[in-house]
Amino acid sequence: MTTPQLVEHFFRHEYGRLVAILSRRVGVEHLEAVEDAVQSALVKALDSWTTGGLPDNPSAWLFRVVQNDLLGQLRQKTNRTRLLEQYQNDVIGTAEAAPAFLMSSEVQDDLLRMLFVSCDTAIPVESQLVFTLKTLCGFGTREIALRLFISEANAYKRLSRARKHLRENPLRIDQLTGDEHAERLPAILKVLYLLFTEGYLSFEGDSAIRLELCDEAIRLTTILAEHPVGQTPETSALLALMHLHVARITSRQNASGGLLLLEEQDRSLWDQQRIKLGLDCLARSATGNHFSRYHAEAGIAAEHCLAPTFEQTRWDKVVECYRLLELTEPSAIHTLNRAVAVAELQSPEAGLAILNDCQPPTWLVGSYLWAAVMGDLHRRCENHSEAARFRESALKLAPTKAVKELLCRRLDGGS
Amino acid sequence: MNNYLCIQRSQPNPPGGAGESEAPTPAQMEQMYAKFNAWKEKFQDNIVDMGGKLGIGTVVTADTVTDGPFVEANEVVGGYMIITAESLEKAVEVAQESPGVMPGSSVEVREISTP
Repeated sequence: MTTPQLVEHFFRHEYGRLVAILSRRVGVEHLEAVEDAVQSALVKALDSWTTGGLPDNPSAWLFRVVQNDLLGQLRQKTNRTRLLEQYQNDVIGTAEAAPAFLMSSEVQDDLLRMLFVSCDTAIPVESQLVFTLKTLCGFGTREIALRLFISEANAYKRLSRARKHLRENPLRIDQLTGDEHAERLPAILKVLYLLFTEGYLSFEGDSAIRLELCDEAIRLTTILAEHPVGQTPETSALLALMHLHVARITSRQNASGGLLLLEEQDRSLWDQQRIKLGLDCLARSATGNHFSRYHAEAGIAAEHCLAPTFEQTRWDKVVECYRLLELTEPSAIHTLNRAVAVAELQSPEAGLAILNDCQPPTWLVGSYLWAAVMGDLHRRCENHSEAARFRESALKLAPTKAVKELLCRRLDGGS
Repeated sequence: MNNYLCIQRSQPNPPGGAGESEAPTPAQMEQMYAKFNAWKEKFQDNIVDMGGKLGIGTVVTADTVTDGPFVEANEVVGGYMIITAESLEKAVEVAQESPGVMPGSSVEVREISTP
């Protein structure tokens, strides 16, 4: 007896697919009924498949169960016979053809439609993020809370806010016009970017769990980039930066989980296939006349990926990309990064001069990053007392033990 | 080799739980599915009948017929399966590793003696 395997994340991804397909068909105002029906169909599947084995087409099996359950529920709940009739003509007639329909690109379209519906700028972006994780990626609220380092109550609150807005402003998902699609695209890219950086930038928690967020972001961005509605240079740039970062993710930590500086990383661990994917996306992004923050960030990541050693990094290109990033998305954090690159390109003194000239906002001055960079640059300029002062506050502000260890190593000397 | 009937029971309100047991998330379902299959594979020679879940039922006696569900019971019989093993100890071993044994539920293993 061999057990047929389901693809990885089958349950989560089916959740997203089914919610997207059925919300479009019955209307997003019935989202909760849809989610309940999908949830109970998955529970049924788990029971039935573990004892009876997998059906020939698990996706079609699930689709039929959800559809029957949902129709029953809606019939009970509403007297909106018109909706049901419309729905029946629309879907029931094609129920027999479900497997073929599920294989079609329509499913991807439905996922994208859901993304366009939820990325409504009237919904706070942190609510969009939680909603995306729940509805399109199939995570539970506790799992979302764990991944975003927020409380479960907070995750639930954010989710409810998005749901409430969608319930009160029901939008026939296919009613969005071309202009509205274009209007919402930046919000979608932002949510996908956040989804990715939540996984990539955080050093807390289990690395496998964080990587899942990156994988989800890449999955959704890939679908978006392959669809005419999302096929813009900006989308390609975003996908490029995701690939180029993820290619290097495994080399960021040593075997015992300690963090490694870029110059300490073993570059042979970098995923060359992934880098190639990223560079292909980057090439595709180089059209049109809009240079976005994603272009700049992908450009920086590409420079690091292409450098054979830390010393051989083309720092002039990196500095240039940070300068462009500051122009498209002004933030002192980009200035801080540029100063680090300038210190490599020219001298620690030149890097320090940039920081001494800028007026950092209090949130940055109060972060370990600022103190760490200042401490490092002062150390390299041999300003011992300044270096010691920043070193002390950097260590005090370090968010995790791993970051603290990294800072100790860096700020105590070495390269 | 003997056959054994495994009866799975669960408590409607597991102790320590917040009243109602929470529905598993899709990610947890994936883990449960994988665990179940790993168990099935490991003990494929011991599994005679995967059985299934038991629905609500009726108790028939000589003079009455009582419909379930029997909510007054502390534990609800949820499902059954039949396994084969050379001894009760072996059968217990198989049952012990099954995903049916989890907090709030138990599996009773009984030998089926056939003359």
